[in-house]
Amino acid sequence: MNWRRPGRAGDGDDLLNDLLAVVATTRPDADARLISRAYGVAAGVHAGQTRRSGDPYISHPVAVAAILATAGADDQTLCAALLHDTLEGDRYSLAALSDAFGGDVAALVTGVPGSAGAPAIADSRAVMIKLADRLHNLRTAAPLPPQTRLSKSRDTLDVLVPMAASLGLDAIKVDLEDLAAGILSRETLRTPASGRVLARAAALLPAPVRSRWRDEWAGELAALPTRRQRAVFTVRTLGGVPQLAVTLRRPPRAG
Amino acid sequence: MTLQVRLVLDALLADPARERYGLQLCEVTGLPSGTIYPIMARLEQLGWVESNWEDPGRHIAEGRPRRRYYRLTGEGAGQARRALAQVRRPGRRPRYGLITGTGIAGVTR
Repeated sequence: MNWRRPGRAGDGDDLLNDLLAVVATTRPDADARLISRAYGVAAGVHAGQTRRSGDPYISHPVAVAAILATAGADDQTLCAALLHDTLEGDRYSLAALSDAFGGDVAALVTGVPGSAGAPAIADSRAVMIKLADRLHNLRTAAPLPPQTRLSKSRDTLDVLVPMAASLGLDAIKVDLEDLAAGILSRETLRTPASGRVLARAAALLPAPVRSRWRDEWAGELAALPTRRQRAVFTVRTLGGVPQLAVTLRRPPRAG
Repeated sequence: MTLQVRLVLDALLADPARERYGLQLCEVTGLPSGTIYPIMARLEQLGWVESNWEDPGRHIAEGRPRRRYYRLTGEGAGQARRALAQVRRPGRRPRYGLITGTGIAGVTR
């Protein structure tokens, strides 16, 4: 399911309709009017804001709500998901949020860890929102700087995947794990392929021959056509650097 | 002599005058580059192998960095043949079998 939309004006109702369609599949009893109202507030607060991808910002909370709807989340959770970023700026206040949607939804919004550095989370629904939030952020991580992608992916594997497992949210857990592991392996393979990693590893070798090996590996790397081949070469060569360092320090002898 | 060194020597002796770069040796022997380079460094120390940078005319024309090429020395070719014959001497009990280009060779210890 792809919730990203081209950034043209006037497609907001499509987003809402798509969301309500998903909600209807798992929660036929859901309060569509309440959810529509939350959507309306969020769309107003995020009006004119865009994500890094260029998509209208509102596409993100809608996607988070849709992920949660798929998991069968209740109305309050869905509303809080739609509203989870509305307090980030100064366009909307906690008081207004409480007035409009009640204290429970407001508590869920403020309780989403990371959104306001919330401490202990009493409500597992707030954790669910956090998980869905991360899931959608990883799905749309391509425009982010590599460092951000890496740190988010590590945090996902270290913290969020265990959280999802403990809540029994298996589908979300598997998705988070796949996405984070995929990003990590691609990023770690990409970095060595630049040759910087091998150049750094060459520092383990005796100084007089260091540049020879660095140049030799650079020559091999440059001749490999695909990034994947360069990554494999780098990883395999790295594995032999310690042995090479020992060999090169051994006095030459016959036999 | 380790199995890996034998694979490398076999590959080099298959065409002793030919120059090969590291990745070619990886392909021929099926060994990873992390194994090939320490072996080549050792063989070079022993004088069995010599290495040289590729002719600048070639890599500059192709717009890529130079490659390092390895070749058996005259002395090294003879020593490699003797050493391989030694480990393949009949009567030594094969520790395990290895399928090579020339058939099944026993690895002795």
